[in-house]
Amino acid sequence: MKAFPRLLMATALAATPALFTATAQAADLIVGFTLDADTLDPANHRKRETETIIRNMYDGLVTRDANMLVVPEIAESMTQISATEYDFKIRPGIKFHDGSDLTAEDVKFTFDRIVQDGGMGDGVTSPRKGLMGPVASVTVTAPDTVRFTLSEPWPILPAMLPNQQIVSKAWVEKMGNEGVATGENGTGPFKLVEWRKGDAVILERFDDYYGGAADIAPVGKACVDRVIFKIIPESASRVAALLAGEVHIINELPAFSIGQVEANDATQVMTVNGTRSFFIAMNMQGEYFDDLKVRQAAAMAIDKQLIIDKILAGNAAPIDGILSPDAFGSSDLPKVGYDPEKAKAMLAEAGFPDGIDVTMDTEGAFKDTAEAIASMLTNAGIRTTVTVGEGAQLSDKWRTKGAPKSGDMYFTSWGNGSLDPFDIFTPTHKTNDRGNSAGYANPNLDALLDAAAVELDVEKRKAMYRDAEMMINADQPYVYLWVPKDIYGVSKRVSGWQPSADSRINLHDACLN
Amino acid sequence: MSMGKLLERIIQLIPVLLGVSLIVFVMLALTPGDPVQIMVGEQAITPDQEAALRRDLGLDKPMAERFLLFVANAVQFDFGQSFYHGRPVADVIAERLPATIELSLVALIVALATAIPLGVLAAIRKNSIFDRLATVGALLGVSLPGFWFGILLILLFSVHLQILPVSGRIGYASEVPAVTGFLLIDTLVAGNIAAFGEALRYLLLPAITLGLPMTAILMRVTRTSMLEVMRQDYITFAEAKGLPRRRVLYRHALKNALIPTVSVAAIETGSLLGGNMIVETVFGWPGLGRLVVESIFLRNYPLVQAAVLLYAVTYVLLNFIADILYTVLNPRVKL
Repeated sequence: MKAFPRLLMATALAATPALFTATAQAADLIVGFTLDADTLDPANHRKRETETIIRNMYDGLVTRDANMLVVPEIAESMTQISATEYDFKIRPGIKFHDGSDLTAEDVKFTFDRIVQDGGMGDGVTSPRKGLMGPVASVTVTAPDTVRFTLSEPWPILPAMLPNQQIVSKAWVEKMGNEGVATGENGTGPFKLVEWRKGDAVILERFDDYYGGAADIAPVGKACVDRVIFKIIPESASRVAALLAGEVHIINELPAFSIGQVEANDATQVMTVNGTRSFFIAMNMQGEYFDDLKVRQAAAMAIDKQLIIDKILAGNAAPIDGILSPDAFGSSDLPKVGYDPEKAKAMLAEAGFPDGIDVTMDTEGAFKDTAEAIASMLTNAGIRTTVTVGEGAQLSDKWRTKGAPKSGDMYFTSWGNGSLDPFDIFTPTHKTNDRGNSAGYANPNLDALLDAAAVELDVEKRKAMYRDAEMMINADQPYVYLWVPKDIYGVSKRVSGWQPSADSRINLHDACLN
Repeated sequence: MSMGKLLERIIQLIPVLLGVSLIVFVMLALTPGDPVQIMVGEQAITPDQEAALRRDLGLDKPMAERFLLFVANAVQFDFGQSFYHGRPVADVIAERLPATIELSLVALIVALATAIPLGVLAAIRKNSIFDRLATVGALLGVSLPGFWFGILLILLFSVHLQILPVSGRIGYASEVPAVTGFLLIDTLVAGNIAAFGEALRYLLLPAITLGLPMTAILMRVTRTSMLEVMRQDYITFAEAKGLPRRRVLYRHALKNALIPTVSVAAIETGSLLGGNMIVETVFGWPGLGRLVVESIFLRNYPLVQAAVLLYAVTYVLLNFIADILYTVLNPRVKL
């Protein structure tokens, strides 16, 4: 019988961690991050998380500072030659990580690879082509200058350019697409040491770095020796890793964990206004919400501020149109106001004195918020049942362009990383556009959005979007809810870093004390 | 087992794999959610670009043709390109597979090493306090959801005691040249004992979390079958012969009592692969389970098909191993 306790003892001993020495490096800045990169090829992905990781190794022609202002990076200057032509002068003395010099040819090659049909080779078109709008061609006009030619005026070119990073022509041709997917040769502040797929991306400082954007101080080499993106998909584990001191920055800190991070002496919470607008689409082709009064009743029935305070812990800005308060063209709009009694009266006016029974679709991640909204709607006579669906299935149901809509309401959101109305207003409000889940159709608005998209006069363009916001504020195809803040948990050892509204985590200037 | 039997088993594998492929293929195709729509997300795309993307992904072909193409390529071990990784599916899976196998095997070892002694002890001390505690423990072990138990372990050992890491496979100071992909083996091959210890530290919490339900089940099975065997005449006879109790227990009772344990263990090992998806997410373990779940949400068809096929092969192989072990433990049974 003695063998059994011995066996147990052996198991227990093996489990004694004191037997093993933990190894950690002091100058490693570790980010606990939600998702691994799909690929390291800057031209062959569609995910913001992938771009966040890539962005620490590859620089772009232009970038954004912490206030979302577009500033030159690899480019020294940008000159608009005509409505459809822009010249970019390239900074001298920029080196790729393999030691070769960056030239205008590399810039042209990078954008040819993105904007040309089949530009990736083997007949494959870059998934990032859509982000380059009407960019038709890029030509080298002088040894240090490239010219972007557009097929039509596109005022948001500078706002969209930070999404693209410059690759080395010679290196990409040598490596092929599969080599570029797993290797790296950028001009950014860090170079790749090892990519442990699904586990971590390990980067180290690039000592020949040209210093980065001249407008973002400090200019120079990165502060930390190494940066590690450690992939921890589960929020509770990410928070635990931060509290245990295993990681120094975590993204997507859940609002309910804010207290825990604040209570810990070594960690703090940092927030930044996000760029994603949340709203409820009301099916205007359906049974009830074709009536403006019913839509207005729904908007009145919801106490946005209460949900922001109680569920989002105050971390969101209420909106009355589709645009975030930080977006170009945003302005103060008439507020609907919370008034459940008036909502009931409006329902009665619309011919539903006994109220209506509806469903609201949402994804699992937003169930709590949707349930709170549903109970408010129910109080005002819009008896709402929340149905939780999977993202892919819901986007099939609600977002497929031009398809007949089924369902009553859809609690959803749309991102606006560029903070320009173009890539949020048009898709969600133009007739039959891809994100128009309400099935809203307003020819006047369509014409206005089309005109604003190509208007180069900044003030005129702003006024156009103001008019567009007023139209949707009156028509109320959606209940516009809020723009949540992005919440990060950060170790107090980290300095020189602040979260950015476009969700990127650029670690060039971050230090670890 | 004769060569003939072995061959028969391998031939049996063919319809199983074809059936699994067809079911997975049809189910994926029937599940709502268009891979192209999901991939494009909120990005702007013209109808031409959308059509080109659909063509690039091979989704413009009719379903039957796609299935036949998949089978024709799969027999040559070509599972196509992952929609998201820009690389062959086989490469992407091969990178993640060793982590999953390593975790499952260690969880299996933890489970067996704990369950068998506890089960035997509970049986020979039937109705004692120990037995009752073990029974309640087993009930808890089966009932505790992995994601909850895992987080409790993290809070205790990583956040409060700070003696074990929260997530990952090994620290970032350790660079271990990949030979097999199994860190416990690669660290030893490299002669790096410190890194071996570190890898073990990282493995401990996920392996315990993953192995817990299995431990509980195996303990119950071992206890029951041990009790049954102990009532057999040959045990009474062995005891009557005056054999030492230890010899009776180990040589006579345990060997027979383990037969059901081994069968259940082999089948449950299959379920370790399923349980991995949750444990890998909680502990940031870079295994296949997490990859498959992510791929299902993204409708990354080629990756899901290949991974499910791999799971099917593993299940069949595990059953096969269980059968062989059964004949070894119980020579009366011939395959």
